[in-house]
Formats: sequence, structure tokens, C-alpha cells
Amino acid sequence: MSDLKTDVLVIGAGPAGSMTAKWAAKNGAKVVMIEKRQEIGSPVRCGEGISKSWLEGVGIKPGRWINLEVEGARIFSPSEKVFEINEKDAGNEVGYVVERTAFDKQLAIDAANVGVDVFLKTAAVTMLKENGRIVGAKVKRSGETFEIHAPVTIGADGFESQVGRWAGIPTNISTRDMDTCLQYRMTNVDCDVRYCDFYLGKVAPGGYVWIFPKAEGLANVGIGVQVSKVTAMADARTYLDRWIDHHPGYAKGKKIDMVGGGVSISAPIKQTVADGIMLVGDAARMIDPLTGGGIANGCIAGKICGTVAAEAVHAGTPTKEFFQKYEKGWRALLEEKLYRNWLAKEKLVQLSDEVFDKVIDVLQGYKLEKLSVHNILKAVHEKYPEVTKEFEEFL
Amino acid sequence: MPGKKHLHIESSGQLCIYCGACVGICPLNCIYLDETRITFDEKVCTRCEICVKACPVGAIEIG
Repeated sequence: MSDLKTDVLVIGAGPAGSMTAKWAAKNGAKVVMIEKRQEIGSPVRCGEGISKSWLEGVGIKPGRWINLEVEGARIFSPSEKVFEINEKDAGNEVGYVVERTAFDKQLAIDAANVGVDVFLKTAAVTMLKENGRIVGAKVKRSGETFEIHAPVTIGADGFESQVGRWAGIPTNISTRDMDTCLQYRMTNVDCDVRYCDFYLGKVAPGGYVWIFPKAEGLANVGIGVQVSKVTAMADARTYLDRWIDHHPGYAKGKKIDMVGGGVSISAPIKQTVADGIMLVGDAARMIDPLTGGGIANGCIAGKICGTVAAEAVHAGTPTKEFFQKYEKGWRALLEEKLYRNWLAKEKLVQLSDEVFDKVIDVLQGYKLEKLSVHNILKAVHEKYPEVTKEFEEFL
Repeated sequence: MPGKKHLHIESSGQLCIYCGACVGICPLNCIYLDETRITFDEKVCTRCEICVKACPVGAIEIG
């Protein structure tokens, strides 16, 4: 393959990459999107639960990638008191359990259908630089190395992103700001298809156990553990296996799939652009630090990123200054919540099982008008003021 | 390598699930994932052991 020229090079064909590529192409840019794997969307590294309120705004139509629609979420305290959040209270925050392989492919199809060229089995090897500016990437496809030159390069290469670091954008995270995750897909389990379930406390230090139903009797059963709380090798698996052993409705199930991965649970990073390059999605550490969800934020930012990429191409100004439009754009929509949820996470990971039980106990009988960290704390404060002492800055 | 502990990443598939958790957390960006092969730069790695903790399945050993 000889060297190529394009307007926008997108590295990584996950949801954030495809969304960025689509919106750049829709706005008139010539776009190449590369994916190192042979199959978009596989292997899955995800619990597959998403909220749905944001989908329409970024132009994603419901499709066959939806496994089912849940009515709400249930949060279980360590002694398994339950707090139920229904769709209305959650402000449309709950939503679908999805088939990621199908979802990612649909987004790539949407991108391809507006003119994006997709290269599979093509990995970025290093960045091309010219006077300190990124001008594309050296890539490797089936053992063959060639260059793709582009005035705008997008790093959408996920949690294990290298593009940002190659480009000199600091994306390193501490062990406090990462969860190590493992998930089994299990059949013959007693899941409730009406709910996504979350189990908090010592069962998953610094994280939670999740049950996301895929169908009657079939569910994703997973765990995230804060890396700074890991004390032994394979702790994530040990904790998850222990949880399953202690729950007969799941212990009787059979595992048919196993996936893992890292999730950043950090505060927003300071910089996501440099000359010739923008980062988006998990690569830009846009994952919600409280829920660990990254798809919505990646897609919302991707729409802005793609639009700004095309504008920069047309204006001939792929500079760090021009990209502030993206930097400010995604921050205006996401930064405050990311930061607030990071603060909440920082507190939550310190709570004892006893406190978790108290909090859920209060919420059990409480009718929240709108689900928010603030409303939850107010409710807890009425019954256990000593518990909320730690959280005064939120009240 | 003198002075450095032995670090072993089991990436033949016995334990490793190629999830990339170690790659993402490595503070020196010296672990590489190439579909079904994980390698690390022996010279750059300081044996900080963060990847050992980040690995959900215990495929990274140090000692």
C-alpha cells in the first residue's frame, strides 16, 4: 500500500471514533477511520448498559442492537437492602441493555454510509510530526507499513490509548482513578429483565458488581474494583467469583463468555487537543467516574469533535487554538457532571458497608422527586446527619 | 537484567484475555497489545507493579 492523504484520520472504530468520523464526513471532510482489529465491536469490553436520553441528539436511531429496555435500576447495599430507581425519577438516565458488537457495527455503518473509508486490521504505529504538529500516522496493515497524512488526526483508541501519549497530551491516570473489570455472560440465572442491578460495598472495593439482563435467564454479571484497592493478583476475578458463589440465583448459572478491561474513573483531564490532533471518548478519559459508563459521553463529544474537525479542514487551521472550539464544546456539556461525579466517587470509595446500609435504608422508603447526588444526600441527612458530615460540600 | 525483578506477562491465552487494562494503566507507556500478544519494554519498565494490580485475571507476575 502506498502512502495516503486524507482530511481527517480517525484512529479507532469504537462508538466515539465512528461518531467523530460520521460527523466530520457529514460536514464535508474526507475521512479515513482505521481499526486495529478485524471486526468492529469485538471483542466486547463492556457491561452493555446505556442510558437513552442522549441517543437522538447525536443522530443514533434505535435498532437491532437493543437487547431490551429496562424499567429502572436497583442499588443493593451490602446487607442487600434495595433502592429502586425508576425511569421517571432517573430523568431518562436508565435505558437499554445493548449488544455492543451490533451497536458498534451500526455506528461504523452510519459513518461508512456518509462517505467514511474504513480500514480494518490497521493499527497506528506512531504519529507523523512536522514542526511539532501532528500530521497523520504511520500505520501497519497485515505486516505492511505505510503513512496516512492528514491535517486532522483523531485519537479514539480507547482506554489503552497510545495516541494521546505519542502526541504529548498527558492522559496518564493513577491507580485511584482506574477500575479493573471482569465480566461473565451467564445463562440459566435468576436475573430480572426489568432492572439493571448494582451491588455496592466490600463485595467490590471501590467499584460495584453489576447484573445487566440480556434476556430472560441471560445476563452480564460483572465487577469493577478500584486498582488502588487491589491486594492480590486476579483480585477482580476473585471478588466476582465470590459474589457469584454467595448468590444461589447466579451460582447455578453457566458462564458462556468472559471479558475484561480497564475503566478510567478520573476527573476530566486538562487537555484533549494539540496541534493537528484531538482526543475523544475513553482515550480522552471521558468515562463517568461514578457509573463507569463511557459510550454516551464518547458519542456526545464525538459529534462535536467531528464537526470541528471538518471546520478546521475547510478553514485550513488544524491548530490547537482552533480546536478550542471542541475543547470548550465538550466541556460545556460534560465537564461539570464528570467533575461532580468524580468528587462523589472519591467519597463513596471511602464509605464502610455500615454507612452504605444506612444510606440505602433511608432511600428505600423515600420518594425522590428527581434523582441527583444532592437529593440523595438531603434525604440521608434528615435521618443520619452524622453520615452526611463527610459530604457537606455537596449539600 | 541486573537489579530488576523478573516480570512475566502470560499472554499465550492460558490466563490473559487481551483486555488492555495493563496497557492503559502503565505510567511509562511501555506495554504493547498486538491483538493476541502482549509485550513490554524491558529497558523502560521500572517494575512499579501497577500492571500486576490492574490485571483482572492475574496474568502478570513479578518476582
